[in-house]
Amino acid sequence: MGNDKSDVLQGTLDLMVLKTLESMGPLHGYGIARRIEQVSGNSLSLNQGTIYPALLRLEQRGWIKSAWGVSESNRRAKFYSLSPIGRRQIEEETENWERIAATMSRFLAPSN
Amino acid sequence: MDWIRILMSRIAALFGKQKRDAELDEELRTHIEFAIEENRKRGMSRQEAQTMALREFGGMTQTKERYRVRRGLPWLEEAAGDLRYAVRQLRKSPGFTLIAILTLALGIGAATSVFSVVNAVLLRPFAFRDPDRLVVLREAVEDPSKGERSSIPNNYRHLLRLKSASKTIDDIAIFGQRGMSVSPNGDYPRMAGAVAASPNIFRLLGIQPILGRDLVEDDARQSAGGVVILSYEGWQTFFARDPAAIGKTLRIEGHPVTVIGVLPAGMRFPQISFSPKTDFQETAENALLFEPLVPSKRDLTADMGNFNFKAIARLKHGVTLAQANAELESMQKAYTLSAHLPLHFGIALTPLVKDVASGISGALWMLFAAVGAVLLIACVNLANLQLARAVNAERETAVRAALGASSGQLVRSRLTESLVLAFVGGLAGAALASLGVQLLLTLVPANVPRLDEVHVNAPVLLFACGLSIAAAVAFGILPALRSLRVPPQTALQANSTRTVNTLEGRRTRNAMVAAQVACTVVLLIVTSMALRGFSRLLVQNRGFDTSHIAMAQTDLFAPAYENEGPKGQAAKLAFADRTLAALGQLPGVQSVALTSVTPLTGETWVDTLTRPDHPVPAGKEPPINVRWINPDYLPTMQSQLVAGRNFTAADRANPYVALISERTARESFSGENPLGKQISQLVPDDMHPITVVGVVADARINGLKDDAAMVYLPYSAFTPWTLSFLVRSSQPSSALIPEMRQTIWQIDPQVAIPTLKSMDEQVSDSVATDRFQAMVLGSFGAAALLLALLGVYGVLAYSVSLRRQEFGIRIALGSSKSALIGLVLRQGAQPVFVGVGVGLALATIVVRWVHSLFYETPAMDPLAFGGSILLLLIAATIAAIVPARRAASIDPMRALRTE
Repeated sequence: MGNDKSDVLQGTLDLMVLKTLESMGPLHGYGIARRIEQVSGNSLSLNQGTIYPALLRLEQRGWIKSAWGVSESNRRAKFYSLSPIGRRQIEEETENWERIAATMSRFLAPSN
Repeated sequence: MDWIRILMSRIAALFGKQKRDAELDEELRTHIEFAIEENRKRGMSRQEAQTMALREFGGMTQTKERYRVRRGLPWLEEAAGDLRYAVRQLRKSPGFTLIAILTLALGIGAATSVFSVVNAVLLRPFAFRDPDRLVVLREAVEDPSKGERSSIPNNYRHLLRLKSASKTIDDIAIFGQRGMSVSPNGDYPRMAGAVAASPNIFRLLGIQPILGRDLVEDDARQSAGGVVILSYEGWQTFFARDPAAIGKTLRIEGHPVTVIGVLPAGMRFPQISFSPKTDFQETAENALLFEPLVPSKRDLTADMGNFNFKAIARLKHGVTLAQANAELESMQKAYTLSAHLPLHFGIALTPLVKDVASGISGALWMLFAAVGAVLLIACVNLANLQLARAVNAERETAVRAALGASSGQLVRSRLTESLVLAFVGGLAGAALASLGVQLLLTLVPANVPRLDEVHVNAPVLLFACGLSIAAAVAFGILPALRSLRVPPQTALQANSTRTVNTLEGRRTRNAMVAAQVACTVVLLIVTSMALRGFSRLLVQNRGFDTSHIAMAQTDLFAPAYENEGPKGQAAKLAFADRTLAALGQLPGVQSVALTSVTPLTGETWVDTLTRPDHPVPAGKEPPINVRWINPDYLPTMQSQLVAGRNFTAADRANPYVALISERTARESFSGENPLGKQISQLVPDDMHPITVVGVVADARINGLKDDAAMVYLPYSAFTPWTLSFLVRSSQPSSALIPEMRQTIWQIDPQVAIPTLKSMDEQVSDSVATDRFQAMVLGSFGAAALLLALLGVYGVLAYSVSLRRQEFGIRIALGSSKSALIGLVLRQGAQPVFVGVGVGLALATIVVRWVHSLFYETPAMDPLAFGGSILLLLIAATIAAIVPARRAASIDPMRALRTE
């Protein structure tokens, strides 16, 4: 792996998945993985496979739901969508993330 | 509440696993197909598109594995896997499994049975309010000659003073316990356990009657009419639980008494002994009747003598036993000084539960330790077997390790096997325990307190459960850890039978045999001491002969005998004379004896011997037991007269004569000839001096362990209220006993006969605790010996089977049979000798604690030590000779060809 790609922080992936589902609506695993790669501008070293344990984790928490459906290309696929709890959770997770990011940038700002 | 939702979904995922796996496969397959499709659109070849898609995805297998771990409960699934594996392994060797389960079931069953007795008798608190704060209170006197303190029952006046002044105790209840004769409907009286107690007793214990009322202070006045409270059992016995019993009358000792209350079911009044020394010789008869204790004028005024009362006190909240003891002790000492009492009194408090069981606790704890040792030996046996199995399974273990099983997984799967065995063994053991408890209850002496509370209940089952787990860990951990240390390549490369016979494996097995032998040696030594003590008790010279004697104890508690003056004496004397004459008329009777105290019931009627010609300072007079007898007593008991003469019919006119035992002669007339000497003040309310006319050989009539100092007086001088008739007859006691009962009730149907049995039976009952101890220890000792024998045999047989080739080569090279037998025996002897040595060292420590539990047994009993070791060595030789002969008879050709 090249150094120009960053590893994905645990928890960050969850928020990316939630945000993807919020903006795109119901989507299958491949779609979610591709969307995250596109948005990040291919700067993340994400094995697409890691998306599945993350999806399972979110589903176990009740933040997302899954159902079998048919894709545009007429393939049977499992579609994931946000649950009401997940929708509420996005705000909380976003705030969390912003707080961490703000704290981190304060550390990283050149001291004067 | 996230974790609950996660847990629920994980538990749900334990079901329909195949369908879930199939869905995951499909989902991931679709993912790859989407990727290939997209890659193809970008212009890649089919091959390129697929490679790219798989690379972008990452590891397919790893993803699935991570997904599964997150989906279900992996540790549970692994445990289930281990369990299946363990059961499969055990089913492959049914012989081992059966032996292991049987050994465990017997060990756990025996330990659980003993524990259920220990729990009920020693550990379980009484069903009273805050039973921890209840203490038994006794006075203590210093014996300056021996330099020790002994506890005695209480003086009523002392108790009243302590009760009113103490700041550390809430209250004291004063009481006496004895059998009383009750005749519910005017029929023959029967004896029932009774308590005469100060009216605060139930408030102190925290018990309220379920019917009627509690005792009140007014019930204890001299003028009050007789009232009684019944225990639940008493209510059932006398009134068949009739709610209208309140207000009805019962005849107790011939007097009508009104029933005022009934106590709740399950209320058992503790049997308190007069002093810790008397053990539990008094019968542990359950109290059915509770009367108010009405103190006499003498009780209220006398500071000396009259130490006849038992007492239970309740400590105040937050006060320790030591604090209360210190306070009461200093109060008592101060009073002793200010009132110029001739003896120095102190106080001895003991916790109620401990006090009640004091006579049996040592024996029970020892049995518990012994059964623990047996279980330990059984566990070592199993550990040895498991070790052998683990060694045999070494290749398999190595394969699993090579395939990536972690060391934790390997240990767990071996330990699971032990747990399965322990679980099944423990279950069977718990079932056996209920049988074992029945068996123990038939062996346990009947006067052990609280036996009716012995059950296999929740705490006992919990104990069995804990024991099974402990056993599983004990015999499973060594083999389990062993499987860790085997480097896979060694096990896989080497010839299987050669790897296992490593020096290290043999050392472990030998250490276990040595441990087993050591435990067995200790148990055998303790057992043989118990057996020797018991046989010593039975075969020693008793000073009397019990064969062909039947005995009847009569209690004259009827109004006719109540008068304490000459009128009552005349009535009692008349009853005694008529009964002696009538019993003498029965067919086959050789002689009839009368004594005031039933033989083998401990010290009673203890007085001090005073001599007008040889005064001793107060408190220093030697104590003696007084017995009122007839002239036929000595010939009936076949006790020997050593000097002087027996009582005769002529003494009736002038009954102021006495016989003394040899011990009394030694202690009170040291260096003098007692014949013709005078002693005083032994006949109640009579100051007439008494002349010693004879000396009788010492006899253990108080108890086989007890060689008490005796003074015998003619019953015509004074006839007590309890009389025992001893009939020596050529007829068997089974025929004699009903005739005796009939004869006595023909003379007076109001007389109670609480004891009627053969003297042999009485002797046997009196040593019930020692017999129990000897029998139970004996069976534990035998079990330990058998297990040790199996252990020695098992290890040697196993090692011979591993060395078949070697022995084959030795034989082929010309080694003789006897040389081979010697080789195996030497190998077997090594751990046995080490074990014997360790066992001897342990035993010298253990016997120092337990020898006092056996009759006249010194801490160092060479015969017990030597005999036990000899027995063990013989057993070990027998165990070793079979595998040794097998080694010698190996056919070299076949042994060499098998590999």
